[in-house]
Amino acid sequence: MDFIITVAARLLETMFVVGLLGSLGVLLISFVEDAETLFHMEDKGHS
Amino acid sequence: MSSFSPPTAPGNRVRIVVATSVMLTFISYWRAAAIVLNDLASSAYYAGGIAEQAVGKSAPWFILGVMLFSFTVRAVYVESCSMFVRGGVYRVVKEALGGTLAKLSVSALMFDYVLTGPISGVSAGQYIVGLLNEILVTADTHGWIPRAAHNIFHGTPQFDVNWTSVVFALIVTVYYWWENIKGIHESSEKALWVMQITTVMVVMLLGWSAITLLKHGYQSVPLPTPANLHFSKESLGFLHYRFPEQSLAQRFGILGILIAFGHSVLAMSGEESLAQVNRELAHPKLKNLKRAAIVIALYSFIFTGLTALLFVMIIPDSVRIPIYKDNLIAGLAMYLWGPELLRLLFRGFVVVVGFLILSGAVNTAIIGSNGVLNRVSEDGVLADWFRRPQKKYGTSYRIINLIVGLQIFTIIASRGDVYALGEAYAFGVIWSFAFKGLAMLVLRFKYKGERGWKVPINFHIGRYEIPFGMASVTMVLLAVALVNLFTKSVATVSGIAFSAVFFVIFTLSEYANRKKHAHGQQQNDQFQLLQRDTVERESLNIRPGNVLVPVRDYNTLTHLHWALEKIDTLEQDVVVMSARISRFGAAAYDLTPEQIFSDYEQTLFTRAVAVAESFGKKVSLLVVPAGDVWAAIVQTANNLESSAVVAGVSSKMAPPEQAFNLGRAWEALPEPKRQFVFQVVFPDDHVESFRIGPHSPSMKDEDVLLLHRLWLNITREPGLDKLHHHEILREALTRFAHDYGARDRDDILKELRRLNAADAAEAGRGSPNPPPPQVVQRESDDGPPANRSS
Repeated sequence: MDFIITVAARLLETMFVVGLLGSLGVLLISFVEDAETLFHMEDKGHS
Repeated sequence: MSSFSPPTAPGNRVRIVVATSVMLTFISYWRAAAIVLNDLASSAYYAGGIAEQAVGKSAPWFILGVMLFSFTVRAVYVESCSMFVRGGVYRVVKEALGGTLAKLSVSALMFDYVLTGPISGVSAGQYIVGLLNEILVTADTHGWIPRAAHNIFHGTPQFDVNWTSVVFALIVTVYYWWENIKGIHESSEKALWVMQITTVMVVMLLGWSAITLLKHGYQSVPLPTPANLHFSKESLGFLHYRFPEQSLAQRFGILGILIAFGHSVLAMSGEESLAQVNRELAHPKLKNLKRAAIVIALYSFIFTGLTALLFVMIIPDSVRIPIYKDNLIAGLAMYLWGPELLRLLFRGFVVVVGFLILSGAVNTAIIGSNGVLNRVSEDGVLADWFRRPQKKYGTSYRIINLIVGLQIFTIIASRGDVYALGEAYAFGVIWSFAFKGLAMLVLRFKYKGERGWKVPINFHIGRYEIPFGMASVTMVLLAVALVNLFTKSVATVSGIAFSAVFFVIFTLSEYANRKKHAHGQQQNDQFQLLQRDTVERESLNIRPGNVLVPVRDYNTLTHLHWALEKIDTLEQDVVVMSARISRFGAAAYDLTPEQIFSDYEQTLFTRAVAVAESFGKKVSLLVVPAGDVWAAIVQTANNLESSAVVAGVSSKMAPPEQAFNLGRAWEALPEPKRQFVFQVVFPDDHVESFRIGPHSPSMKDEDVLLLHRLWLNITREPGLDKLHHHEILREALTRFAHDYGARDRDDILKELRRLNAADAAEAGRGSPNPPPPQVVQRESDDGPPANRSS
């Protein structure tokens, strides 16, 4: 049982770490895009 | 009277034009962001306390991490919204993952929505009761509490925090239940206003906290390392039985981080609301969606993320969890630098804002779940019985009753325990995100249609595009969802039970609907649906100057009878229109024609056609999806160049109010726009008529007499013998406008109110409400205006 739990835990950890690293990439690229969107607001929304 | 000429297509099927573009009053990205933040930012009121109870003092770092991660979840939703698909969440997930997972996904989403109401209501109650108890303590220290009260309560009078919160949550939920049954329109104006007040509070809170940190210093927040994690028995869930020594974090290292992350994921609940407001966003839609998403992500990062840090940095350990665990922002207010009275006042402000934002989230939860279940019902996965409109208000009251019933059960069952509610809520939140991510990942390979934007980091291997970014986000969501299954025992049991019940209901309903399908298909075969993007006169093949007859309830078609009796359809076309209302912020995707023309519309139009047949007259049939019925009528009348709109008496409002709403929608319409006559037909065929759009006002006899006397007197003056009446009016109005804009405004308004009240009394209306400026009652009710254009 302990073996199964350890394997499952390692699998989840791998998914989490790889996912977080990839998400960090998404985050950084999104920040650049966000900055472009924010600072090139040709037609501003009206509240 | 003309001979009957049915609006049929080859094969004797009645043609119905179904407009598929929703007639919405579009909103700016600021308003869209405000609507989402009403849900998302409300998490700041309870997420920090729940996370710290679960993982210990390093919780704020995890909240910050979750808020950063929410930027990527937001990206998934932006991609989802940028796809040109029709149908509800169920249909989209079904396309990607199949029917079974789609039903599970909707069940998880429903769990999320149903729990949003109770956690928000109970949390608001905790803040209010916490403040009341604090005031009682303060009053007692000043000797303001009578001795008798002391004796009764055996000390300072105090409310039972949890049960009083339950009562409060029940009151708020029942209030919004009734509002939703009545179908009160949700405005983005209110959401924006709430967020403006919230922003004032956030700025004050952060600024004052900064001063406090400078004056008093701060407590350090332990770094988010496995050694600093202190899981409670509850926060280890099922794992506690396997690893009772609670050393799981140290034993597995990263798994401990993952568990802690899972306990903090609640902080990004509400992100899914972004999809619900997407349809209402003004042009350019994608750009505005991105802007709204940025505003939302930054705001919630600052509010939820930074305040979570400040809780630990400023509120002493001795009181933070023991006293303020369920109302940490209030606790923060009480430990800011400055005099006690000022802090207490600020706490009052925090509670007022909390009440506004959290009770708003209760309403959002009812609207959202009503929208989701309506879509599911339209897809044949929930029995049509649920969607039958309420007789008086036309709302899907059975769905609303079901949702609110579940929410009331949850509130009472929770006994006001915010932690338990939060744990259960997290189940719905993370699983609906995980299903969404998984569906979007699969759709990268299966969906080949239009897609406005993609989550970044995509590379190619051969002819295949590898969506690395999307896969990464989905992996994190799945890992968190899976680990939460083991660490949140109450949530897992209640979430699975809830989802299983919904899954069974969906499966049985689908089976029953499939059996009904053959019959339904036959009925549907009477109609030929002509799908059009927008409403145009040409697509209905009608002439300008036609009469638009909106219908809603198939039991009250008196106004259609009246219109067909009065109109010679050889001279003037009659268009029978049904607006398929989709509540504001209630749906992520546009509807398919079959969803728009549902069972109810079939019955409605079958009756309408029967009425037309009884008169032997031709009518054109039209269904439009709309966010607001008034905007839909006005926009349709304008597009069709209608000369009149003939409606029945509303069960909710008097004809002048109907005209007022229509007039207001007309004012909001962009140019070019046409004036038209609005006629309200009573059951006894009595008619009240109003002009919509600018027009000459009807004048009373005494006003005409006054004008004439003035004209007589003035024309006696030298050089003015050729003066016209309208020139006197113009001069009078110019002077009036000048006085109104200057010093006499208050006097003028006072006098106008007096006149209006006198008019109302004279007319026997009994209401001093001013008639809307753009509509004036007509005297004639002979029939709709004749077609002058044809």
